[in-house]
Formats: sequence, structure tokens, C-alpha cells
Amino acid sequence: MRAMEAVAAGSRQHRRRQVIGWALFALVVVLIPFLIADTYSPTIFGNRYTVGLGNLSQAIGLMVAILGLNIATGYSGQLSLGHSFFVGSGAYLTAVLVNEFHWSYLSTLGVVVPGLFVFGVLFGIPALRIQGLYLGLLTFAVAAVFPSIIRLENVADRTGGSNGLLIDSDLEAPTWAPIEKITEWLHAIPGVGARVPDGLTGRQEEAVYKYFLLVIMALVCFWLVRNILAGRVGRALVAIRDNPLGAAANGVDLAAYKTLSFGISAAVGGVAGTMLAMHSGFVGPDEFGFSMAILLIVGLIVGGAGTLHGAVAGGLAIQFVPHWSSQTQTLPGTDVALEGPYGTAILGGLLIIIIFALPGGTAHGFRRVKARLMPVAPQPPTG
Amino acid sequence: MQVLASVLGVFDISLDKLSNGELWLAQFFRGLSDGATYASVALALVMIYKSTGFINFAQGSLALLGVYLAYIFSVEQGLPVVVAVLCAMVASSAVAMLVERVFIRPFPPDHVLPLVIVTLGLLLIIDSAVGIVWGFRTRSLPSMFPSGAPIEWGIAQLTWRTIGNLGTVFAVVGLLYLLLSRTKVGLAFRAVSSNLESARLVGIRVGPTLGFGWALAAAIGTLGGALVVPDLLLEPSIMLRVLIFSLAAAALGGLDSMVGAVLGGLVVGLARNLLVTFLDLSELALATAVAVILVVLLVRPTGLFGSTRVERV
Repeated sequence: MRAMEAVAAGSRQHRRRQVIGWALFALVVVLIPFLIADTYSPTIFGNRYTVGLGNLSQAIGLMVAILGLNIATGYSGQLSLGHSFFVGSGAYLTAVLVNEFHWSYLSTLGVVVPGLFVFGVLFGIPALRIQGLYLGLLTFAVAAVFPSIIRLENVADRTGGSNGLLIDSDLEAPTWAPIEKITEWLHAIPGVGARVPDGLTGRQEEAVYKYFLLVIMALVCFWLVRNILAGRVGRALVAIRDNPLGAAANGVDLAAYKTLSFGISAAVGGVAGTMLAMHSGFVGPDEFGFSMAILLIVGLIVGGAGTLHGAVAGGLAIQFVPHWSSQTQTLPGTDVALEGPYGTAILGGLLIIIIFALPGGTAHGFRRVKARLMPVAPQPPTG
Repeated sequence: MQVLASVLGVFDISLDKLSNGELWLAQFFRGLSDGATYASVALALVMIYKSTGFINFAQGSLALLGVYLAYIFSVEQGLPVVVAVLCAMVASSAVAMLVERVFIRPFPPDHVLPLVIVTLGLLLIIDSAVGIVWGFRTRSLPSMFPSGAPIEWGIAQLTWRTIGNLGTVFAVVGLLYLLLSRTKVGLAFRAVSSNLESARLVGIRVGPTLGFGWALAAAIGTLGGALVVPDLLLEPSIMLRVLIFSLAAAALGGLDSMVGAVLGGLVVGLARNLLVTFLDLSELALATAVAVILVVLLVRPTGLFGSTRVERV
């Protein structure tokens, strides 16, 4: 493909290009649930792969989880291998509040966000004295402990212990949501419309509704985090990551900002937990053990630490790589089925390859390709 | 007495249990045995930390691989267990050297974060590879030591296995000490771990020396795994649990002290067994390990025997 002519940053053309990009993105986000409401299942080399709306919703939850981890690890550079602890706490808080106090899912955020923020700050206080590797070590151990806390006898009758907890409330699409109408419209479009089902079953409608709910929650999270990171706080965090001494010398209060980063990171992680609980209607102790903690790190690195786009790519990667791997019944040319642990092995390989070949993650690679194809000339600030 | 009993009742502790000397002794012995196994994996962690300055999260996985090899050699090929474990130690150190050469050496050794992430990737790969090759069925590996107990006191037994585990760990520390202080490669190893740049300047080949450290750590880890597994059953997730306790042990002893790793392992093993028995905290066994790590890192980040890191600004 030939590269386009460079446009000046902030110029009209540049802005138009940005608007078109975002509009395309919005279009895809809105259309996808209808296109895959009947699970999309292409067959490649004799293997049937599925792209279900459920997988996608789960991936959205994971994106927000990685976004949270990104704040502590990607932006302020504190290796946290225990982020699954916050995600799990958020999920369980939501589950218990919905089940025992009959709150609605969204209202549990009123407890999850401040609760997890305080929790994260408390967690961040020991992290002040513990740096780098030692912090990784401690957080790794904390992640490992979460399932056994859930299984403790004193709390097991509330948390469901090893069996997990089925959440009572169903997220049914409210009557005002025009999901049925949109489906009809899309179905009427010639060409593309053929992929959209004639009408949605009750379960499909619920899945589409959940998807949009999760997308909106994710957008709010990304927008808030972007705003936090674009300002004073974000600059302070990046300064701490790049050179703590220099940051301190320039008047950044290391202790305050580090604990703050853990607080925000945990709060966002808690929201991710709520989202995952909303998606599956079930929470189990082993979902949030250290395998999830490691997966989130994989997602962070594969997507690109310290970038917001990276969280999106990472969430998709850690959801779909194991999923598709387990659906590979026969590897072309062999009779190997990539079931079970193959998915984890592939993710591990991906992690190492990314570290070797693309240290900035896929987000960085994407940015480079974009800069090549659609160059933007930076402009000096005016005024 | 009444008051004490009611206070203890809150924690579900009975005085009968606390005044049961045999139970104390029995748990003490079990603690020693567990502690020895934690110590041996902690030793492997310390070896890596000493040479490279980072924590190898794949250490448990390399040990896991070694233990499976030992299983193949002993149960499937019919070698005596001790010989099988020795063969597995050699094989796993070869794998570790290869891993170090391919995945670790390309990175600058002073840039820790990518290295730690690579070891996390290795953890995922090796653990799932073991699952792919050998499946998730549990197996049992015979112990290297005879069964039975030479010393018995009611329910408290000091078994041959406990004695063997302890003896093995102390023997390993002794041999390591000799290796590091009396041989040329040991000298090179100490030079590299003390100051990488200076070591390179005086002509020590840093890469192979670090590879040697990895091989040594994998061999020790495999031996540790061979001590652990007879108590539990062999399945792919076994070393992860041991890894947490061993990390606690290594942190307690100071991440760069071998004696510290052994003592740390014993303390963690004892603490785990005594607390779990007397406070009825069987689900919190892992949490005690985390509590140990947290308290040590907060109160004395260098551990009991670790050397203080001096940084020049």
C-alpha cells in the first residue's frame, strides 16, 4: 500500500481523519453484536472456530481488568502480579450484594469502586517500601491466596466456597431498548443484512443487551482513565516509572502518587470484576487465582504496557487465543488437537515473542504501521 | 484458666490440643520435613537471584520438568530412585542451560523487568508442556529414602524421610559452599554475582557463568521436587504451590543467602504446620506464607541473612 501524504497535526484534514476513524470504530462496535448474534463460526483447515457474543463480552471485561493493571504496572512501573485479587474482590462483592441485598448490578459499583479504591491504597502502602521484584513477589503470593480466602469456612456460606456462587438476578433487556427494531432494520439492508438473523431469541436479545451495557461501562472506564492519565497525575506516574529519583527531585510526591496509582488500578480492577460477574452470572474462586493474574500480565505485555489501545488488544488476545486453540481439533498436516493446556502454552510463547520482537506490544506495532501509512507531521505548539 | 479457655475458644483452639506434647512434637517433625523441601527449592531461587539479580518464576516449572523426568527414569524405566533423580538433575540442568542461552542471554542482564516477564512466559510454556506430554493424571513417585521411623514417641515419628530430607538439604548447602569457594568456576560465579561489569573486565566469560548458575539452580530445584513429591502426588500444578512457600522462605532468609534459604525454609515449614494444626487454619496455609513475605519485606527487606544493597546515586 502506498503511504498517504503527511498531514499536519491538528489541521482540519487530520481532525477529519480522526473523526472518520472513530466513526468506523463506533460502527463496528455497534454492528458486531448483531452480526455474531448467531455465533459466527468460520471453518479454517477443517476446524470450526466460533466467535460468540459471550466470548466478546468476556473479552471486554478482561480489557478493563488489563486497563486497571496498566495504571499500576504499565504507567507507574510497579510490577503487580496480583491484579486478579482486585478483579476477584470486585466480582465477589457484586455477587454477594446482588444475591443477599437484591441490589441491581450497576448500583453495586457504588460499593465496589470506593471499596476497592481504599483496598488498593491499603495495598499500596506496603508497596511503598517494597520495590520492583520484591513487589512482584509479594503480589504474586497475594494472587495465589485469593481462592483460599474465598474458601475460608467463616465466609464460605456467603461466598459459596469451592462451588462458587450463582448470581440470582438476570440482566434482561428492558422493554425500552430498541434491540428488536435495530435487528429488523439491519436485516432489511441488502447484502450485509443476510448475516443478521431475522429476529432475536430471548437469550440472544439478552446477550446483545449485556454486550452494549459492558461496552458502555468499558468506554466510561477508558475515558476516565484516559483523562486521569492525560493530566498531572499521568505525567507524575510516568515520571515515577522512568526515573523515580528525577521525579522526586521535580517535586512529585512519590508515596502519594504510588498509593494513588494502586488505588485507581484496584478500583478499575473492581469494575472489571463486576463486569465479568455481570457477563457470566457466576463467580468461582479459581477463576481469580494466579492463573488469571499471569494472564492479565500476558495481556498487558502483548497489548502494550503503558498504552490504552494495548488493553483492548490484550483483552482480545487472552480471551480468544485459548478459546480458538481449544477449538483446533486438527492442526493442518498433523492430527494434533490443540486442546487444554496448548492455549496457555501458545500465550506463553506469544508473551516471549512479543518481548523479543515487539517490546512495545501490538499497540506500538500498530502505531508504527499507522505512522508509515498515514503520516502525521507534528506541529510546534502555538501561543 | 477458665478465661484463657474461653479466649482460645474464640479461635477454635482447645487447651487439650495445646497441652498435647506428642501433637506438638509430631507437627514439629512434619514441619521439619516440609521445611526441608521448601528450603531446597528456595536454594534454587537463591542461586538464580545471586547470579542474575532477579527472581526466576519459572524455577518451579524447571523443577517440575525434572521431577517428571525422574518419574520416567524410575517408574517407567525401572532405574533405582536415587539414580533416576541424579539423571533427572543432569537432564534438567541441560534444559535450563539451553533455556538460559536461548531466552535469557539476549537481554541485557541489568534490565530486570523484561527478564521477569520472560520467566513468566517460560512458566506458562513449561507447565502446560508438562500437562500436554504427561497429562493431568496424578502419579506417585517413590521416595529416595526407606519408609519407617527410627524414632517414635506416641504419634510423633521422626521418619527416615524427614531425616533424609534434612540431610539432603544440608549436604547440598555444604557442596554448594565447597563449589563456590574452592573451585575456579565457583570463583567466577561469585565474581559475576558481585559485580557483573568488573567480572567481564577481568576476562570472566559472563554468559557461560550465568548459564552455569541456571544449570545448578535447575539441578537443585529438581532435587527439591524429588523430596517434595513423595509426600504429595505428582501432577502439573504441584510446584506452583511449593513455589509460594519457597518464595516466602527465600524472602525470609534474604534472597541472596544460602544459609538463610535453609533456615527460612525450616521456619516456614514449622510455622505452617504448627499454625495450621493449632489454629485450625488449613485453608490459610498459603496465607501464612504470604504473611511471612509481607512482614519480612516490611520490617527487614533484606531478610534475616541477606546482604544490604548499597546503591550509589
